[in-house]
Amino acid sequence: MISAYILITIQPGKTDKAIKEMRKIENLAKISIIAGEYDIVVRAQVKNLEELLGVTDKLQMIEGVTKTTTQIIEKEISLQ
Amino acid sequence: MIIRKKYLFYVLAITSSIIAAAVTGIDSFVGAQSAFVNDPWAFAFSIFFVGSIVTLLITLILSVQIRGESLGAKILDPSFKKLRIIQKSELKFHLIAGFMNAINTVGYCAIVSTIRDPSVILSFSQIVILYLLLMESITEKDVPTLVEIQSSVIVTFGAILASISLTGEFDLSSILIVFIIINPTWAIFSIYQRKLKIMRINNKPNDSINIRVWNVIFSCVFTSILLFVFDIFTGGGHLVAGFTTSISLYYFLLVAIVMSTTFFAYVLYIRSLGMGKASVNNAIRASTIIFAIPFSIILLQLGVIEQFSTDPVMLVIKVIGITMIVLGIISFALTVVKAYIFINVKPGYPLDETMKKLWGIRGVTHVTATAGKYDFIVKISTRTLMKGYEKTVRKIEEIDAIKKYKWESVLRDWENI
Repeated sequence: MISAYILITIQPGKTDKAIKEMRKIENLAKISIIAGEYDIVVRAQVKNLEELLGVTDKLQMIEGVTKTTTQIIEKEISLQ
Repeated sequence: MIIRKKYLFYVLAITSSIIAAAVTGIDSFVGAQSAFVNDPWAFAFSIFFVGSIVTLLITLILSVQIRGESLGAKILDPSFKKLRIIQKSELKFHLIAGFMNAINTVGYCAIVSTIRDPSVILSFSQIVILYLLLMESITEKDVPTLVEIQSSVIVTFGAILASISLTGEFDLSSILIVFIIINPTWAIFSIYQRKLKIMRINNKPNDSINIRVWNVIFSCVFTSILLFVFDIFTGGGHLVAGFTTSISLYYFLLVAIVMSTTFFAYVLYIRSLGMGKASVNNAIRASTIIFAIPFSIILLQLGVIEQFSTDPVMLVIKVIGITMIVLGIISFALTVVKAYIFINVKPGYPLDETMKKLWGIRGVTHVTATAGKYDFIVKISTRTLMKGYEKTVRKIEEIDAIKKYKWESVLRDWENI
């Protein structure tokens, strides 16, 4: 299983509509709207890199998404 | 299903409270059976003895694999794979939690067996939230914020008002049992269940289902020992009575219903303990008092329990108490600040060491080493931005390996459950 954070930049005013579309994508475990350089952070959980490509492709097809930066998780420590 | 992340913790804790309220209803019916009314100690043993068998059976069913994933992972806890033997690193925590649960239950039985109306005394067990705040300040080195103290006090006194009964006597020795035995043991039990949930087993998050199974088993062992010692000193036969009652089919089935329902309440409670502090969890759990009302009405209609007081003064006190509980919980829910911190590190510093240092910072809930533009993505959760700055940002700045970082506050988030 591969996990990755995808940092997304959105056109102003398109966030709500983009979130609605993102919630339909199956492999997204978490979606967060953030304030700063990026507008949205999503956490993808996929079986392989090809599936990850599919997720980023779906994200980039959403209206309003202008840029995605993918960070593949190599190691993790978490409370949950 | 994807739901707001902020609400997942509250969904788990409140669902656990609703199930716990149902258990309270069933419990009052089962506890009122002649064999248990005459011997609450036998009831304590029966709970854990039958509970161990039922919990193991449910866990075996939940271990069934469906399309590469266990049934338990699909419906209760995504971290659950299958029933497993505990690891050496978990043993100490299980022994403490099991011992505390056993003492707590024996203390509860001591009150039930001596007081005609235990609700007068047991309402003071809600003060456990304040015990937890104090213990967390010491054990987790996490000083509670003003909001946490205010909300906890509101919930605690609300819970006392909502659950207190105006009938029944006020017995000093029973109050002492609540303050010296029941509250501290429950607080320690909750803290150690949380420690177990936070632990990583084979580099994966620990699951709440195995934690519950082993807690019931250890509680059963310790309750048996405590009752055995108690029987020797008092010349009683509670342990034998508990065992004899447990193997009777009628009583076995009754206790099995209680313990199978309790299993689901506890699994969700343990899972929520992994997501938030034990004090906040117990404050939300005080809502059991509210959810118990419809179950009490159903039991009243079925003739299982006697008519309860409808004195107007009593009702006003209860409504004030319930309002305070709801306000306190809302106050907790609305005061969480979360943020992502994107970090770049200097070359020449081992990543593992930096990762451990980041994980050691209070408020950090996730540390991930990533490949890409950033070396680490850290997620933090705190009550106020000021606390986030003092407890997290200043500590990050102290780590030599960190070259630069970006703080990005979370405005809203969703999680797939």
